[in-house]
Amino acid sequence: MEVELLEIRDFLAAHAPFDVLSPELLEVLPRQLVVRYLRRGTPFPPTDVRDAALYIVRSGAVELRDSDGTLSDKLGEGDLYAGLCEADSAVTGVTVEDSLLYLLDCRALASLREASPGFDRQFAADRAERLQRASAPRAAAGLDVLSVKAADLLRREPVTLDGDMSIRQAAQLMSAQRVSSVLITEGERLVGLITDSDLRHRCLARGLGADSPARSIMTPDPVTLDGGEVLAEALLRMTRLQVHHLPVLMQGRLAGMLTLSDLARHQGSSPVLLATDIQRADGVETLAGICRRLPELQSQLDLANTRPAHIGAAIASISDALTRRLLELAESRLGSAPVPYVWAAGGSQGRQEQTVHSDQDHALIIADELNEPDREYFTELSRFVSDGLNACGFPYCPGNAMASNPQWRQPLQVWRDYFTGWIERPQPQALMHASIFFDLRAIHGEAALLHTLQEQVLARTRANRIFIAHLTAAALQHRPPLGFFRNFVLIHDGEHDATLDLKRRGLLPIVDLARVYALSGGIPAVNTRERLEAAMAAGALGRELGGSLLDALEFIAGLRIRHQAGCLREGRAPDNYLPPDTLSGLERSHLKDAFRLIQSLQATLGNRYQAGRFG
Amino acid sequence: MWTRLPGADLRRRWLRRRLPPNPLQAYLAAPLPAPRARCRELEFLALDIETSGLDPARDRILSLGTVVIRDLAVHLDSAWYRLVRPGRTLTEDNVRIHRITDDQAAAGLPLRLVLPELLEQLAGRVLLAHHAALELGFLNRLCRDWYDAPLLTRVVDTQTLARRRLQRRGQAFRGRDLRLPNLRTELGLPRYRAHHALSDALATAELFLALLADADCRLSEVLC
Repeated sequence: MEVELLEIRDFLAAHAPFDVLSPELLEVLPRQLVVRYLRRGTPFPPTDVRDAALYIVRSGAVELRDSDGTLSDKLGEGDLYAGLCEADSAVTGVTVEDSLLYLLDCRALASLREASPGFDRQFAADRAERLQRASAPRAAAGLDVLSVKAADLLRREPVTLDGDMSIRQAAQLMSAQRVSSVLITEGERLVGLITDSDLRHRCLARGLGADSPARSIMTPDPVTLDGGEVLAEALLRMTRLQVHHLPVLMQGRLAGMLTLSDLARHQGSSPVLLATDIQRADGVETLAGICRRLPELQSQLDLANTRPAHIGAAIASISDALTRRLLELAESRLGSAPVPYVWAAGGSQGRQEQTVHSDQDHALIIADELNEPDREYFTELSRFVSDGLNACGFPYCPGNAMASNPQWRQPLQVWRDYFTGWIERPQPQALMHASIFFDLRAIHGEAALLHTLQEQVLARTRANRIFIAHLTAAALQHRPPLGFFRNFVLIHDGEHDATLDLKRRGLLPIVDLARVYALSGGIPAVNTRERLEAAMAAGALGRELGGSLLDALEFIAGLRIRHQAGCLREGRAPDNYLPPDTLSGLERSHLKDAFRLIQSLQATLGNRYQAGRFG
Repeated sequence: MWTRLPGADLRRRWLRRRLPPNPLQAYLAAPLPAPRARCRELEFLALDIETSGLDPARDRILSLGTVVIRDLAVHLDSAWYRLVRPGRTLTEDNVRIHRITDDQAAAGLPLRLVLPELLEQLAGRVLLAHHAALELGFLNRLCRDWYDAPLLTRVVDTQTLARRRLQRRGQAFRGRDLRLPNLRTELGLPRYRAHHALSDALATAELFLALLADADCRLSEVLC
């Protein structure tokens, strides 16, 4: 008869990582434990224990501190301390409540890890490995529509034409082949692209003769996609560049053309389709109706195992379409703009990391030839768009970082001065604005206005160590929690939060870190993932560390999407506040890993730049 | 006649010589823990028995559970639990068979087989129980009936320790405050299912560790 230690077996079965053990292993595990009772105020780990052991807190509480005495963790019921079985045992602690502890000898732990691969994984010495596994299952599920490779969607050979042929021949070829675009080649090499709209705008509208060379109306050196890249990437590129056609290359050779309608066809009721509906909508009310489908779409994308990064991009692509449509509606009401301008999205939309119910963040950059009387036009324009976005479920920005605020609706030169001011005099208030406006992305209008600005800004930030030091200091304000204690979130000073603010304490610290890397490295990307990848490519961020940070980002973003889906199911507006008791033990430990990683990166960056802060 | 009470260990040696070879006599081979010994140096056997009633003369033992405390830690590999099969149909020959298979144990064993196992564990250790009078009452009765002498042992009673603690603090308390689950709750120990001999033995062992104010105490300070 197996001696029944049901209380202990059931306790272990309910707590990670023991919950993954087979019933057979769980049955025999309690007999391998030793029970200790430590009165409050006893040093931890206890000094009188002969053999190194894993500690499992059954009841009570233990505070752990780093070698420099700062609180690093607080253990409550079900939490583990494995430090003595691992190399790092610099931690010292004390019981802050009378505590009942279970000890598992390190050798017994080792054999248990050998017996159960699932259990072993939880103890993987390498945090990077654990984080990767935490974010991997979704990506591996293969159901993600946006993870399909571009090459798998190509349905025909590319339709090509030599650049010396005439516009008429191009048009005839397009009609015969029933395509909306033709690729212009020189020999094997792709040199340009002509679409239906090029025929309209660059040929007919300008009265150019049909016998002119096709090359004269082509978009030269079009942006391409590699056949191995996924649809999410295609969607991102199309929305960012505002194009509907992407030539696809395989091993450098032209393999076909991917169009927005290919994407729409493949995805069914997907973001692209929604974006198409938005493009056809005739007024704000219709747009608001379409946008009511947005939360549902986000939940569906999640259910279909879409990667969080792709969901963020998809939602942003819809906001982009919505913003563009609102601007078109405004222009048709107010007439065309008196001078060129660019509407730029900031914040999460700018970074293409948006979720439903995100606040609006945007800016209007107007060409410098703006006359005083024309200001009224842009006032009307931005008010219309901002009101429209609000009606469509994207609430006004509480900090008023919107183009409808005259401060953020200015000619290029004023913007240049703004940025110069922020960079030269990095006051806290200035840095807060900077965090929104350093992530701008052109949505509609003359993108060159923004690009000029961004180039100049990057050149300045890159060279300015003091600015980077201040930006780093500001980035370190968003500190991740230490972990969890019972059903609370454990904050640095030992305080507790009832819920985990996934955005402020999980995602923003990573976003802020990525911005520091971008602005200090002259990286033009605004998307957090792209910024980090570029920093890794440039050697500013270690491959392994950067990879882990990306995994952490993906994991936390995934939790957020799922939490928001839960809010929607319960009929509440989606928010970022996750109650810890809804987390599984495994999710808790993954989150803790992610927090630790962010902390160590913050410390690294802090050390690197703080020194120069007052220098 | 004795003019004064002999020391317990003297008595143990005397009994051991006097008794015929039997499990109690074998148990008496190990010295009793010395009252001056430090708690942290001693081994304790936490015991709980479940009975059909409170009267050792009429009622019977249904199950027993024990765990060992060593170095002031409960070692769960020592956990022992026996169901007792009613009936006294066993012969002495059966009793000598010490090898008990798991199946037999699951179905319940005759007390004649179980008691020697318990005595073997208790040798050299301090008996620990919550309201030890019950355990002692039944064990003494059985030992007298079968082995011609009462059980000679050192006993620590967690209920007595808890009562002394409350009295020392001048706290008013009721009888039910001294029950095992209530004391555990008061001391912040987890809730276990009550009235299972092994669970209660473990619960008693943990309670003892929690009640032990001073780890350097001597056994004499916690003895009944």
